Amino acid sequence: MSLLRIEGLSLAIHDFAILHDVSLTVEPGQIVGVIGESGSGKSMTSLAVMQLLPDGAQATGRILLEGQDVLSLSEAELCRLRGRAMGMVFQEPMTALNPIQTIGDQVAETIRIHEKVSKSVARARARAALARVEMPEDRFPLSRYPHELSGGQRQRVVIAMAIALRPRLLIADEPTTALDVTTQAQILKLLKRLVQEDGMGLLMISHDLAVVADMADHLVIMRHGKVVEAGPSPALFHRLQHPYSKALLAASTHQPERAAQPQEIPLLEVRGVVRDYATAREGLWGKPGTFRAVDDVSFQIRRGESLGLVGESGCGKSTLTRAILGLEEVQAGEILLDGQPVFTGHKPNRAVRRRMQVVFQDPYGSFNPRHRVDRLVTEPFHLLDDPPRGAAREDAIAEALESVGLTPEDRYKYIHEFSGGQRQRIAIARALIIKPDLIILDEAVSALDVSIRAQILDLLADLGDRLGLTYLFISHDLSVVQQVTDRVLVMQSGKIVEQGETAAIFDAPRHAYTKQLLSATPRLPDMTAA
Amino acid sequence: MLRYVLKRLVSLVISLAVASLVIFLAIEVVPGDPAAYMLGLNAQPDTLAALRDQLGLNGTIPARYLSWIGGMLTGDFGTSYTYRTPVADMIGERMWISLPLALYALSLSTLIAFPAGVWAASRRGSAVDMGVMGVTQLGVAIPNFWFAMLMVLVFAINLRWFSAGGFAGWEQGFLAGMKSLTLPAIALALPQASILTRVMRSSLLDTLSEDFIRTARAKGLTRRQVLWRHALRNAMIPVLTIIGMQFSFLLAGAIIIENVFFLPGLGRLVFQAISARDLIVVESVLMLLVFAVIVVNFAVDVAYAAVDPRLRGRR
Repeated sequence: MSLLRIEGLSLAIHDFAILHDVSLTVEPGQIVGVIGESGSGKSMTSLAVMQLLPDGAQATGRILLEGQDVLSLSEAELCRLRGRAMGMVFQEPMTALNPIQTIGDQVAETIRIHEKVSKSVARARARAALARVEMPEDRFPLSRYPHELSGGQRQRVVIAMAIALRPRLLIADEPTTALDVTTQAQILKLLKRLVQEDGMGLLMISHDLAVVADMADHLVIMRHGKVVEAGPSPALFHRLQHPYSKALLAASTHQPERAAQPQEIPLLEVRGVVRDYATAREGLWGKPGTFRAVDDVSFQIRRGESLGLVGESGCGKSTLTRAILGLEEVQAGEILLDGQPVFTGHKPNRAVRRRMQVVFQDPYGSFNPRHRVDRLVTEPFHLLDDPPRGAAREDAIAEALESVGLTPEDRYKYIHEFSGGQRQRIAIARALIIKPDLIILDEAVSALDVSIRAQILDLLADLGDRLGLTYLFISHDLSVVQQVTDRVLVMQSGKIVEQGETAAIFDAPRHAYTKQLLSATPRLPDMTAA
Repeated sequence: MLRYVLKRLVSLVISLAVASLVIFLAIEVVPGDPAAYMLGLNAQPDTLAALRDQLGLNGTIPARYLSWIGGMLTGDFGTSYTYRTPVADMIGERMWISLPLALYALSLSTLIAFPAGVWAASRRGSAVDMGVMGVTQLGVAIPNFWFAMLMVLVFAINLRWFSAGGFAGWEQGFLAGMKSLTLPAIALALPQASILTRVMRSSLLDTLSEDFIRTARAKGLTRRQVLWRHALRNAMIPVLTIIGMQFSFLLAGAIIIENVFFLPGLGRLVFQAISARDLIVVESVLMLLVFAVIVVNFAVDVAYAAVDPRLRGRR
């Protein structure tokens, strides 16, 4: 008997069909990876197993957990199963824990609601569960609150809560998507170890082919609420049948074609830049301390080049971006675009500022929802001394929208009428409208599905060739940086620890931190070997 | 935690200092000659001089400010010009009505709002929820003085359960005192309870849609357990804010209700003092109310920290 057998599961929420005839099985000790893009129904499948679906959800078919159909159970029976027979780990470790309860209380709660044990016994067992997820007593006492922990540590606490009673089935919905690569690698290793130790089945949901390929024994590829292909991993990768699976794999490793060669003239020069932040005062009348977010950073970007900047969250990437854009003053060093300083005195230099633009990560949060597209894309006009008016303005809008593959008529729409990928195109149009030399892409493709990401990367490469653009490509995703940049900078704790030709760095990293980043990056199985 | 409380205390003292300065300037300095203002247009020069002398208006502005503050710190609020009695005594007397009334109304509104808010939130979209939302909508909309008059008509004039107004005095016993405050307290509590119920409900619903609630459900907690163990305390922050604001309002803002029920409270005192141009009383009562508001805000800040560990560690 399989540990989990989903048979012909269909699901509708308020009569809107989400899943169609989904079937899959998980055996004890097996890791099953479910892959799909947003809207594929992969998360709803996992929530259906836990029966934690949103209100108005109607499921048909069978979900057999050790032979018992969870769809036929009452809410009280389900509460007895959740946390004991099946545990779940979620995507967002920052918000997955109750902020006002200690981690000890939260882990002990799993034990206390299922077993009649004393508080001290429950705490001792919570202690043991936390030790199993590598949160030892001496460094992480039970009295810690979630806000005192990093994202990776919080995710370990969530895992400890899920495995405290050694459930037979663990469901992990994008457990590492919100984490840095090195933390991701550690959490994946931990999950693998727990599966081996307890012989539990793991149903792992992810959008990232490489993450799942590394982990799973069995793969399930989903699209539009249907299973399109399934089979044992990694063999499945070599004999993918369905066109969608093939397209997904191709998009994950997509390498845009770039024709233009960088010139030997530097466009942007960053020399010895230091950025300090004031920290809280020591005591009421103490002196504020300083935190050095960017520490003596120097580099150049040549005209027409695509330069990558990689590093983990908190390494100073975003601070450096703000300094380059002239949004914040630096404490030492200088930033020059074509020899002109970004800051003159204490004011940003508008003549330089209008020659660079930025595209941010979040296609949903970076637009004012109450403005129409024409107003949104013309926002950078405030940098011009004499912005185009009337027909010239209309032409500029049409040209910018057409250059990113949208139509001029899209200018009359509001931002909620567009998909995530289209919004990112509008963000690029907004950057292009004042014809900048340098575009800073701050995690610009990180929130996109792989197929959309491939399209946007193609668009950027094409625009770069046609308009002679220079890119600073900031990302935590090393595989994307490898695909689209000429040179790469590796940043750690505010310092550039290594820089060089992208191919050289990825082939033969010299600095220990670069090696660590690269080895932590999940890779797809080598297609050429088969 | 101690550090947080100390820091709030420092900000409390600073707020009081700033507020006292503003009140002093607004009442004693900006209008020109307070004595002339108090006595009106037909004042005799010698009466004016006598009042100036009595008010201590002959000193420099900083000296007058310091003596005012110094007096208040030692319990000397000056002497009322119209009543010729120490302001401290007048305030003390009124305080024994206004403070119990405010506490009474606040307890009522909290006792109603908590269960009603939780009940509505736990049955979102049900008939119960819609009923609670409808009643509270009405409670916010009805003017409380009209509701007060309605209650007087029903409970005092027709049913004769309560007296229509006035205050029995605490010397008649605790229950007699509370009885005369009951109708005013209900009238004051009605809009407050309605607002608080709605805040409680929406805050609880917001909390119930958070990620950690889903995590708790995945551990095997029932909807009920999740509500009581995880959602309620997290939902308290906005509720505490509203309770703090309501208490400040109840202490000073009861003027209309005090008038409807002929209660000699602080609100009526300010009202009468303003009509009589008795600036000494106005100034002192204002300062006292500001003091109460700032102390309540301090208490709310400390309550935040008690609820939320993230604030305790903050410097």
